[in-house]
Amino acid sequence: MAAPVCIMENITKSFHVGDQDLQVLKGVNLTIEQGEFTAIMGTSGSGKSTLMNLMGCLDVPTSGRFILAGRDVMQLNDDELSELRNEHIGFVFQSFYLLPYATVLENVLVPTLYREKKKDHVRDRAAELLKLVGLEERMKFRPTQLSGGEQQRVAICRALINDPELLLADEPTGQLDSRTAEEIMNVLTRTNERGKTVVVITHDADIAAYARRIIHIRDGIIKE
Amino acid sequence: MERFSLLLIQSYEAVKAFKLRTLFCLVSVALGIAAITIIVAATEGAYKKAFDIVASFGPDSVMVMSGSDEARAIGQREKTITLSDVEAVRQAFPTAYIVVPTTWAGSVIVSYRGNRYQTQIVGSSSDYSRAWTWPVAEGSDFTDEDIRRYANVGIIGQEVARELFGDQSPVGKFIQVRNLPVQIVGVLTERGTSPGGGSLDNRIIMPYTTVMKKLQNESRYVVGMRLRFTDLENIDGRVEELKTLLRYVHRIPDRQPDDFRIFTSKDIVKFLVALTGSLVVFIGIVGVISLIVAGFVLANLFLLSVKERVKEIGIRRAVGARKKDILMQFLTEAVMITTAGGVVGFILGVVSAQLLTYVAEFPVYFSWKAFAIGLVLSWVVGVGFGLHPARQAANLVPIEAIRT
Repeated sequence: MAAPVCIMENITKSFHVGDQDLQVLKGVNLTIEQGEFTAIMGTSGSGKSTLMNLMGCLDVPTSGRFILAGRDVMQLNDDELSELRNEHIGFVFQSFYLLPYATVLENVLVPTLYREKKKDHVRDRAAELLKLVGLEERMKFRPTQLSGGEQQRVAICRALINDPELLLADEPTGQLDSRTAEEIMNVLTRTNERGKTVVVITHDADIAAYARRIIHIRDGIIKE
Repeated sequence: MERFSLLLIQSYEAVKAFKLRTLFCLVSVALGIAAITIIVAATEGAYKKAFDIVASFGPDSVMVMSGSDEARAIGQREKTITLSDVEAVRQAFPTAYIVVPTTWAGSVIVSYRGNRYQTQIVGSSSDYSRAWTWPVAEGSDFTDEDIRRYANVGIIGQEVARELFGDQSPVGKFIQVRNLPVQIVGVLTERGTSPGGGSLDNRIIMPYTTVMKKLQNESRYVVGMRLRFTDLENIDGRVEELKTLLRYVHRIPDRQPDDFRIFTSKDIVKFLVALTGSLVVFIGIVGVISLIVAGFVLANLFLLSVKERVKEIGIRRAVGARKKDILMQFLTEAVMITTAGGVVGFILGVVSAQLLTYVAEFPVYFSWKAFAIGLVLSWVVGVGFGLHPARQAANLVPIEAIRT
């Protein structure tokens, strides 16, 4: 069996609030194997957003051991973290976060701008991804011309364009109605079925139900 | 390559999307570049004109004029150069292949069959055309024989010719110069305006002997003389020797100033540079100030833009943009706008320079140099003033940028 995508051992994260240290994560142990579809559930203030930021290498832990895609995250500098995010992690955000002035196709291509190891035919690959989510007719549209569900599908294509090991979705259906939410979760499920490791962070049990593994986080501690 | 073109396309999209920012930056850069363009064109124009003048005056030429350096209008200075001075100079300088006495009478009314025109009469020896590198277009120069005989002959400038004769050929015809009937033997080519702005084509050249005796009742003094030397490399030394000689024959005591003035082509260039210089300095200051203002406008608008686009920066960082990628993006946007501003400014500069020449006979000349300097300066502004906001953008913390 291949090495796990993500290994977290005794991870803590503290923030300075005023002159106090606020410990948000209090020793998280978590391993995510390749091909898993995992949901991380927690209420607001449980530390799930902080965990998501760490897992996405947008922030680094205060202490512990953290291996992502075979790299020791604790040892990486800012540029190396950027490279790691670019090549190994795809993000899907609650509010889609597309660039308003760029077209659908250009939005999908944004991560390729920053890729060190160049890949050929990125446009063809972007078109292919958009076709998989049924947006091949919308490539020249601006995000504002799309519905919320369509925007989120564009965001998923953007997350997948560099073929990352891990797709990280933070409340991906938080701004969508239940029917559209179902569509998006189906897209994520299909993505997982094609072999992609997917982690969804949510507070919604219905959404978490799509995952094959559910992890609860409460007061900075993991409970499976 | 694809990555670079994608960066350009995305920057272009941003430049298009933030229209107001683009417009203000572009206009302010354009104004500065327009002013700079005019300066470069004016400087080049002045040099080109100076070069033309030196070429027509002749780099080997020296002009000696009567009268001391004190400020008096040309033609009203006292005459101090005599025909014997001219002869002495001719004897003393074997390398002076042309020594031509010159005198003139200004504001003379000439007429031909009822057409009257006010012009100036230049008295010269038979080498006028050669002395001034000023070819005769039609007919010929007068001869040494004409000088000796006090002949009533003349060569006519294009402007007088047009005024008196219209489309007819003046050669062989007689005109009245005051009460003197003068036969036109040649027509000079068109020369245009002098660096001072007067027309050079409004003149009639006659033998100096005729002018002195019949128009001025003068036997000794001329206005000046013109020399040309074969040894161009020694011209500075020759000018000094000429000065010494004239001071000696005029018996000027040591601490007294010269009672004559000597001009070389260098002096003419100096005169022209002084003429355009003050305007160039003025526009130069305006140009530099407006470029600096443009830079601050750009820096401020970009700082605002960075604040507006924090989320975009966060997304880009999340999907793998390094700090330097963000830096490059904002710099690219800035340089794109200032480049456009540079191009617009160049066009603006060309148009206003045309107006300037129309109003003030100001020599301007546009070459790739004016364009290149404008373009480089617009890049300097783009990078110089775009750097601070771009750094701010690059140093945003990704999670905070996304959470805002």
